[in-house]
Amino acid sequence: MSDDLRLMAHLLRRAGFGATRTELEEYMDKGYDATVEELLDPPTRSSMPDDVIFRYHVDIHESRFGPSAAANWVYRMISTNAPLEEKLALFWHGIFATGYTKTNQAPSILNQIEMFRRHGSGKFETLLLALSKDPAMLIWLDNQDNQKGAINENYGRELLELFSMGVGNYTEDDIKDASRAFTGWTIGNAEYMSMRAMKDSIWPYGRITWHYGYRPEDHDADTKTFLNQSGDFYGEQVIELIGDNPATANFVARHMYDFFVADEVPVPQWPYTPPRDPEAIKIMTDAYFENDHEIKAMLRTVFKSDFFKSESVRYGRVKGPAELIVSAIRTSGDFQEPSLDIIKICNVSDFMGQSLLSPPSVEGWHEGTEWINSGSLVERVNFIANQLGDVSKPGIRDIITRLAGEDGGHLKPEQLVDGCLDLLGPLDVSDETRQSLISYVARDGSLSLKNHVEGDEAESRVGGLLSIIGATREYQLN
Amino acid sequence: MTTDIGKITVDYVKTIGMTSNSPTGRGFANPVDLAITSDGRILVINRGAYEFSRITVCNLEEDFLGEIGSNGAGDGQFTLPTSITVDSKDNIYVADEYLNRVTVFDTTGNFLTKWGTRGIEAGDLSGPSGLAIDGEDNLYLVDQRNNRVQKFTTDGNLLCNWGESGNGPGQLDQPWGICIDSSGDVLVADWRNDRIQKFSPDGKPIMQFGESGSLAGQLRRPSDVAVTDDQYIIVSDWGNERVQVFDPDGQFELLLQGQATLSKWADDFFAANPDEAKVRAIANLEPDLPDHLQTPYHIAAQTEPYFWGPTSVNIDSDRHLYVTESARHRFQVYSF
Repeated sequence: MSDDLRLMAHLLRRAGFGATRTELEEYMDKGYDATVEELLDPPTRSSMPDDVIFRYHVDIHESRFGPSAAANWVYRMISTNAPLEEKLALFWHGIFATGYTKTNQAPSILNQIEMFRRHGSGKFETLLLALSKDPAMLIWLDNQDNQKGAINENYGRELLELFSMGVGNYTEDDIKDASRAFTGWTIGNAEYMSMRAMKDSIWPYGRITWHYGYRPEDHDADTKTFLNQSGDFYGEQVIELIGDNPATANFVARHMYDFFVADEVPVPQWPYTPPRDPEAIKIMTDAYFENDHEIKAMLRTVFKSDFFKSESVRYGRVKGPAELIVSAIRTSGDFQEPSLDIIKICNVSDFMGQSLLSPPSVEGWHEGTEWINSGSLVERVNFIANQLGDVSKPGIRDIITRLAGEDGGHLKPEQLVDGCLDLLGPLDVSDETRQSLISYVARDGSLSLKNHVEGDEAESRVGGLLSIIGATREYQLN
Repeated sequence: MTTDIGKITVDYVKTIGMTSNSPTGRGFANPVDLAITSDGRILVINRGAYEFSRITVCNLEEDFLGEIGSNGAGDGQFTLPTSITVDSKDNIYVADEYLNRVTVFDTTGNFLTKWGTRGIEAGDLSGPSGLAIDGEDNLYLVDQRNNRVQKFTTDGNLLCNWGESGNGPGQLDQPWGICIDSSGDVLVADWRNDRIQKFSPDGKPIMQFGESGSLAGQLRRPSDVAVTDDQYIIVSDWGNERVQVFDPDGQFELLLQGQATLSKWADDFFAANPDEAKVRAIANLEPDLPDHLQTPYHIAAQTEPYFWGPTSVNIDSDRHLYVTESARHRFQVYSF
């Protein structure tokens, strides 16, 4: 397999959810840099249309409960031709973690995901401002209770600690005055909506989705001092000061490295543990300041950098549950049309430890190797086996057709293993893993796909091998 | 409030329903269609997310009269029901797009039979959607994924069919609702073609109207159609979250945005939950929304009185219009 193809596959695993061989070939025709640009600025956007989804799934249309709203997003991730947009939404969802468990407002959290699509690659301050006016976030962190004379610091504290600068880069007084700047930022009909959220009321006529509201009578207009600057600050001015601060650039860069390049230590350890690649962080923060704090420019720098292309970071991340599930489904070609099974997919993600739209806390998920435990690993392996082992699925049929085209359809064990590894990625595995796979295949000898028909013994052997490859350590990594 | 823009007048009467969060009991679970029996019972078919599908029986006085069927795949059960209608004897017919069948009950709800086979051959079904019965008890069925209309006897014998995939006259793209007018002609909500098509009883195209868009008279994914005795055509403009009325030639007359009020069942809820009633009383349920939420979907999702998921339109012999809203678990009643 060519190094160029391997690099392109690496890019698509990180900037998307992997790619089928047909997609990879199309990207290869365009070239690496052009593909990066297309991922950053998709010329078109298409996915399974909402009307088709909503007609079939009345629950997704209404999004009364979390799994239905999550299923809406999963459909998008599975079917989009602009995968980086969804990957970036997933990135921000993990950082600006807002959950169903407290808000009982799946439609508003889904609107937050849509907000990440609109602003997730733009100027960071624009994203933070939209986040600060996001109804789900406002209720999630109690800002409807943040009023002049009765300051609620919850949002102000997390804005600095978890959403922008990180611990150690501001004072408690900064938190207090930042919080004062956001007084009066609430949602429309806050009293009624808060009570419905608290009681998880769906009566009389289902959910009423939230929108931002501002109450000037609740705003503290007095002078604030924030990061050594004083003024009659509103939230906008606080966000501008945050965006200009080097700690913010560093914080965003480290998150970006963790999600798109290689697993870092958990966020709470960042104040005490240097970055895995300080030079990479420096390059990324430079890109932040040289491009007016634009996220897209940072991503462009990452994807075109030597540190991203390096062999040392490939397979350097554990696939998160959503990444694992979506990439497998995009490979198998499942869910070409709406199906009730989509809710089962969301449930599987839950069992693997990631309930989309319902993170465990405002800290989001603990990622990396913490995705893996004995229970989640069984779920991961079983799910992949079901997807990749089903030879009726269109993506698996394409793999079989391509395999049959080699050597007249007659494949020695080595050829079959190498062919499947190639078509599932290309997927690089250790020599030990490769030899184990060859030994497994060799038990039944060479394989002939000549005159194969769907589901026959030869195809079943291919499906079985693909399932086992899905269980390898390497497939579980990004 | 009276809506009187053209030659037809429509008055809001009341709202019936409330969210049901269980597989049985008073309330609706994503209702998608209803039928009215000759004795005034209203049969509401709940598509029923979370396996809550069933028929809820009530009346215009908002009495809860019971239920028929349940979720499942057995006799008398539904998985993804799409439509309900009654014949001249008030026997009840329900289409199910997941099970690819029609289930038949007698008027009291006893299971009589089921018929339908998944497939593409004549008489087979693939995602059955709208149902309508003509004056001679012939049953017209919208065969959604086969892009055709099939005409059956009520026990499932095929009489004729027409339609194919496409956007030309007589062609269909995932059609949904259907009705029969007083002349016996057949009107179909040609869902993904954003138009209404009118056919003769044996399938000859007679008329079509509608174009894609959100302006008055334009359609976005129409889900159902009903025709008054004086040939006014009422369309549930599902993708635009509204209902539109057209004259017999398909010219725009007026549109309804929805103006739901509290049903009796909702009143009961608030009587038992005065804390919610108190804060609801100071809420503005028709708010001004920011620019990024100015779409039919978002407006409907945030404006409780408006239609949200107006899936079907039905009329009765007393000139009532019933608009069933799948996402609001209710139907709004108008007179015209």
